[in-house]
Amino acid sequence: MAWLTWRQHRPQLLATVGLLILLAVAAFVTELPIRAAYHRHALSSCLPPATRSGCGLIVSHFRSEFAARVAVTRYLAVLPALAGLFLGAPLLAREFESGTFRLAWTQSLSRQRWVLSRTMLLGVATVVAAAILSALTMWWRTPFDDLGGRIGPHAFDVEGLVVPAYAFFAFASGALAGTLLRRTVPAMSLAVGIFVAVRVGVETLLRPHYLPPLQRTVDSVAQSARGRDWILENRLVDSVGRQIPTAREDLAIVHAQRARVDPQDYLLSLGWRRAITFQPNDRFWTFQAIETGVFVLLGALAIMATVALVRRTSA
Amino acid sequence: MSALLDTSALGKRYRRTWALRDCTLTIPEPSIVGIAGPNGAGKSTLLGLAVGLLEPTEGAVTVCGRDPRRDPAALADIGYVAQGAPLYRGFTVGEMLDFARISNPRWDQALATELLSRSSPGTQISALSPGERAHLALALALGKRPALLLLDEPFARLDPLASRELLRLLMEGAAEIGSAVVVATRVLTDIERVCERIVLLGHGHVGLDGTVDELLASHRLLTGARRPLGRIRGVAEIVRERSSGRQLTLLVRTDGPIADPTWSVEQIGLEELLLAYMAPEELPSPQPPEPSRLRWHG
Repeated sequence: MAWLTWRQHRPQLLATVGLLILLAVAAFVTELPIRAAYHRHALSSCLPPATRSGCGLIVSHFRSEFAARVAVTRYLAVLPALAGLFLGAPLLAREFESGTFRLAWTQSLSRQRWVLSRTMLLGVATVVAAAILSALTMWWRTPFDDLGGRIGPHAFDVEGLVVPAYAFFAFASGALAGTLLRRTVPAMSLAVGIFVAVRVGVETLLRPHYLPPLQRTVDSVAQSARGRDWILENRLVDSVGRQIPTAREDLAIVHAQRARVDPQDYLLSLGWRRAITFQPNDRFWTFQAIETGVFVLLGALAIMATVALVRRTSA
Repeated sequence: MSALLDTSALGKRYRRTWALRDCTLTIPEPSIVGIAGPNGAGKSTLLGLAVGLLEPTEGAVTVCGRDPRRDPAALADIGYVAQGAPLYRGFTVGEMLDFARISNPRWDQALATELLSRSSPGTQISALSPGERAHLALALALGKRPALLLLDEPFARLDPLASRELLRLLMEGAAEIGSAVVVATRVLTDIERVCERIVLLGHGHVGLDGTVDELLASHRLLTGARRPLGRIRGVAEIVRERSSGRQLTLLVRTDGPIADPTWSVEQIGLEELLLAYMAPEELPSPQPPEPSRLRWHG
């Protein structure tokens, strides 16, 4: 059965290996100057909570130097969807389209075993490939994450356990879409639709609340931007903690500018502070484990639905 | 021992139309059975139900005493070639054989390779001619050494030579493994020589069922002057009525000798007989059955 699964999906599996090799080479080549600059500027001594003088400048220089490369890693978040597009969706849709399900389902194996062994084998291949991708990304981003944290979506979405879980879910929802629609191209669209909707939904609606967020009050915008936490909310409050409406804040800034006073100093002189709601960086692995659980569960449900549909199909 | 194929009051409905209804058939022992009927008569549906691809709406089907949908072990006893002989297009002939070997514990590689002696295992499926594809699909089904072999329109889209070749392979293979063969087809010329029994389906119902000899013996072509039709002694049913000028030709199912000298009585060929049953627009309205005491009178 492993041979058959490999033989039927050889192009996709080879393409996956090729893509991973390509990414590994690209990661290695682009990472070399980053590590060199990191050591040259002794950035490890600037890791929070260190307060070496001049760190702010060094860090922001380091970040801006490699900003374009770091921005690219955000796009790695779309790669798990490929498992749904090219492995999941065609898995059953192609058998239906070409009529070969009539061949496959009339051999001596039960349909249940046929569909389970194929989804499991390809599911494992998907998870392994995504784990390699995740490890690679994590290694590449280490200098930036040590400075800026991993809990924010820019790093969280492309690192750790969630990447294999996303890929497994994408694959499983592709398989389900293929079984429901029985045609490859519509199944691909549905698989991507499901994946994006669930991914975005979980990230925006569930993830901020896995654990109750923490609060802290800081003096200025500049301070709030620093640190490694995931900032959920950033409000301007007065000395007793009431929120300042935006219109009032704008008015205050205009006032300060007319009087040629630094707006930040002026806001502070009014006793206004920034109230930050955030998830601390040290919750990274807890959040990863929770989100992985969510996607593995959803993926397993999709596989179960696929198996049940295949068993019940009468066509 | 249970029958190789047994259906009782089997029916399958797609949304509102019945593709097959009230189909009761038994194939007790290895024989070659032709399922004939026009498009949409329910032939593919019957085979699909027998191999468990379809779920019956009503009735039951068993193969060697087992329900092919509930009991996957039944699948090992059934060789099935779907319409159009689906195969994995990207595979080679050798890889298709590997697929069958992996998927069937009782696989007989020697038999399959012997049957395919003329195809090279390295050939791509997409490069095969329709005849070679049909050949390979049949060899894959025979290699399972099934008790029951179901073929859905195996001769469609084949030229006469390829059909004859395929038929030869079928006869050889079936004889070798001693299985029952059920061939669903619209084209009867190819199988009429080899089928021992014919089941005719029309509109989802079994129209005729019998051995070729029985069917030929019980049907006659009557020709005579045109006249109002009453009962004719020895005729159970008028299957088809055709008139040209003052002459009337009847195809009848007989239940005794036809004594009336005003009719000239002829034998009918199998193909013409089946075609008459398949062309529903030419069927006369059904007649009430004759009271049995009038039969065999004189």
